[in-house]
Amino acid sequence: MGFFDTLARWLGMKKKEVNVICVGLDNSGKTTIINQLKPQNAQQSDIVPTIGFTVEKFASASLSFTVFDMSGQGRYRNLWEHYYKDAQAIIFVIDSSDKLRMVVAKDELEQLLNNQDILSKRIPILFYANKMDMKESLSAVKVSQMMGLETIKDKPWHICASNAITGEGLPEGVEWVTDQIRSMKK
Amino acid sequence: MDLFDEDVGNISQPSPIALVEAKRERRQPRNQSKPASHEGNAKWLHAHYDPYSTLYTFSSCIALADLHGDGDNKLIIANLGTGKYDMKLKVYKGTTLMTENTIIDLPTAVCTFFMDTHDPRTPAVAVASGPYIYVYKNLRPYFKFTLPPLDVNPVEQDLWNQAKEDKIDVQVLKEMLESLRADGSEGTLTVRSLRFLMLDPEDMPTFANLHKHSPLKRQTVITCMTTLKKSHSEEDAISCLVIGTESKDIYILDPEAFTVLTKMVLPSVPVFLDVTGLYDVEFRIVVSCRNGNIYSLKKGSKAPKYSIELSSQPVGLQRMGKNVVVGCMDQTLQCYTTKGKRLWVLTLPANVMTMELMDYKSRGFKAIMVALDNCEVHVYNEKYLVNTIKTEDIVTGMKFGRFGREDGALVMTTKGGGLIVKILKRNSVFEEKDSRPGPPAAQNQKLNIPKKTKLFVDQTMRERENAVTMHRMFQRDLYRLRLDAARSYVKALETSMTPMSADPLEPLKLSATVNGIGPSFKLTVNLQNTSSATPSINLLITFQYDEKLYQLQRSSIKVPLLVPGLNYAFQTLVECISDKAIADTIKVFVLRKGKSMPIITGNINMPVSEAQVVV
Ligand SMILES: Nc1nc2c(ncn2[C@@H]2O[C@H](COP(=O)(O)OP(=O)(O)OP(=O)(O)O)[C@@H](O)[C@H]2O)c(=O)[nH]1
Ligand SMILES: [Mg+2]
Repeated sequence: MGFFDTLARWLGMKKKEVNVICVGLDNSGKTTIINQLKPQNAQQSDIVPTIGFTVEKFASASLSFTVFDMSGQGRYRNLWEHYYKDAQAIIFVIDSSDKLRMVVAKDELEQLLNNQDILSKRIPILFYANKMDMKESLSAVKVSQMMGLETIKDKPWHICASNAITGEGLPEGVEWVTDQIRSMKK
Repeated sequence: MDLFDEDVGNISQPSPIALVEAKRERRQPRNQSKPASHEGNAKWLHAHYDPYSTLYTFSSCIALADLHGDGDNKLIIANLGTGKYDMKLKVYKGTTLMTENTIIDLPTAVCTFFMDTHDPRTPAVAVASGPYIYVYKNLRPYFKFTLPPLDVNPVEQDLWNQAKEDKIDVQVLKEMLESLRADGSEGTLTVRSLRFLMLDPEDMPTFANLHKHSPLKRQTVITCMTTLKKSHSEEDAISCLVIGTESKDIYILDPEAFTVLTKMVLPSVPVFLDVTGLYDVEFRIVVSCRNGNIYSLKKGSKAPKYSIELSSQPVGLQRMGKNVVVGCMDQTLQCYTTKGKRLWVLTLPANVMTMELMDYKSRGFKAIMVALDNCEVHVYNEKYLVNTIKTEDIVTGMKFGRFGREDGALVMTTKGGGLIVKILKRNSVFEEKDSRPGPPAAQNQKLNIPKKTKLFVDQTMRERENAVTMHRMFQRDLYRLRLDAARSYVKALETSMTPMSADPLEPLKLSATVNGIGPSFKLTVNLQNTSSATPSINLLITFQYDEKLYQLQRSSIKVPLLVPGLNYAFQTLVECISDKAIADTIKVFVLRKGKSMPIITGNINMPVSEAQVVV
């Protein structure tokens, strides 16, 4: 970043860019969440299961996000780890109505946390306990319990319940990530 | 006579107790087999365990299918309940119970199948129960199929007709039916007659009056059911139902019209079915029956062609490619080709409860899962145990497949009514190698055995040609040996060279021990009168020995009157006068005064004497 970038940002003309990776099991609502965070005119009306991954962009008040929306299907999950290195934050989406697969999500999280590129890094992790509107969904507290989040000691993390269809709960998470990244840069 | 030296020699040998102890030591307890490691559970994620789901069911009554076409597979269980109450078709979304439908009679099997080509592509559920198949679409009752009725025994028909017209009374009806049952045609009687005969005599008239006007029907029940794709092999192609009945028949039903497309006859009652192929092209049905045989049927065959006779009744049957794997009641897992050739047999550590095919398509991995009554589920790839899952309770029903959105899910129901769901970890691999304790693989390697030599071949030829002569020679020599042995025995008896008297008039027993390390020994001769009442008198003990070697303090001992039963000990000192480290036997004779022939003889093997220590 050159002098002009810094100046531009200081002047509020150009926002700082951050790379974020969005992971979670298939059907958890990753693409729907990212779609909801994009500006209204860029939003897609129908969402299909992601193949491989897609790159999306959206912005918060002070940051410009580049998101790697990974596919959560079993056969694509081994792609995740290739994008950990460049990521400055992780968004982990959990379908809080899928009690059966909570263990699978937990297993994937453990693998993520034990990855060489993540282990040593103090990278913020945001959890969305998504699909809070479904009648069988678990509360964010319950989800965090079942996922064993309290054992994450060396990284800042945050969980919030969300509804990707209405956008409820999403801004809270984005604000938290923004705060984390800004406090780290200082 | 040499034959007996050994026996007598025992006299100076260590006490028999030591021998017994040595034997006991040799019979060491076998190494207890190592408890199976819990390592196997590391391949599975534990998704759910509810010990109180009050599910009582078997593998044949469990199915997994995408009932709503939303990619979320539901768990369908026909619950047997207590056999009277709580017989329900339960559908679970994830682990939460979604719907329940009451089933009237005990369910025997559940299948999901596509019966039409309508959109959305949602499968129907078929529940076999008694003589009926209940078909549910969108979880609502849709159709009931009834098995074609069987012919009624004409005599039985006649009896009920007469009862209807009041030509015979209830008592006669009962007696006639009983005689019909007794002459071996119990299996062909109608349920009405059987039920009638089970009643108390006072209830019989009411029952007969109530039912005699309705036509007599004989029906069989379904014992097993599975599906067979009709003309296409796609996942969502239309399937026929294949059912096995108590009347030893197999029916293949058309999925749209529910008519019987094919009927096949078996020699016994089918229990487990395995079907592959397409109905319109070519298919094969492998069926295990209650008589412990497995039969194989092909398209067009009316009766089975191949049969496999098992060593024990089958408790599970699965197909692995071209082979059939069966678990039997004698704790074995056996593999056969469909043509009936046995490939291997494994002995399992416990009884088999149920079996399931683990077909993990996304990984192209196939294995056989066997639930045992020691709370373990074993996974076999070919004959190799590749994984062991420990469970909280004995598993009675098991299904592997896609559940929810997870492809590698294993659903298990337990003996105590619990429900367990395990999910295969994404990264777990099953090593193809044999992790079973036992001989290492190297032992199965063929050794490089050298070719047969000419000498070997010649010998074999000679043995083959002269087998009869060789056998005769051997027999003759054996008789000679026996004759020699008998002769020596008689001679020994005649000369009384045994420590037990063979003469009934002189019932005596002799034993002797040697104490000391030499050159002085003490020789103790024990004598016992083994008769019940007559005392022995006028006896003498004398010794025969090499005078160059030994010197005896008393070479002859006078024996007093021997009271029956008591043990008398006579002692003498023996001095070894040779300084060469050699030993000899000393013979002990018991004689009657005035007779030169001994009554009994004992041989004492003297130990080698220690050299004298001069102080
Ligand atoms: N009721 C409800 N449905 C949701 C919510 N979020 C997502 N969905 C639905 O869940 C389904 C899957 O959403 P996707 O965004 O495709 O899920 P994904 O995580 O991107 O899945 P993959 O790309 O396969 O990894 C869609 O049908 C969404 O409409 C939510 O908060 N509530
Ligand atoms: Mg997606």
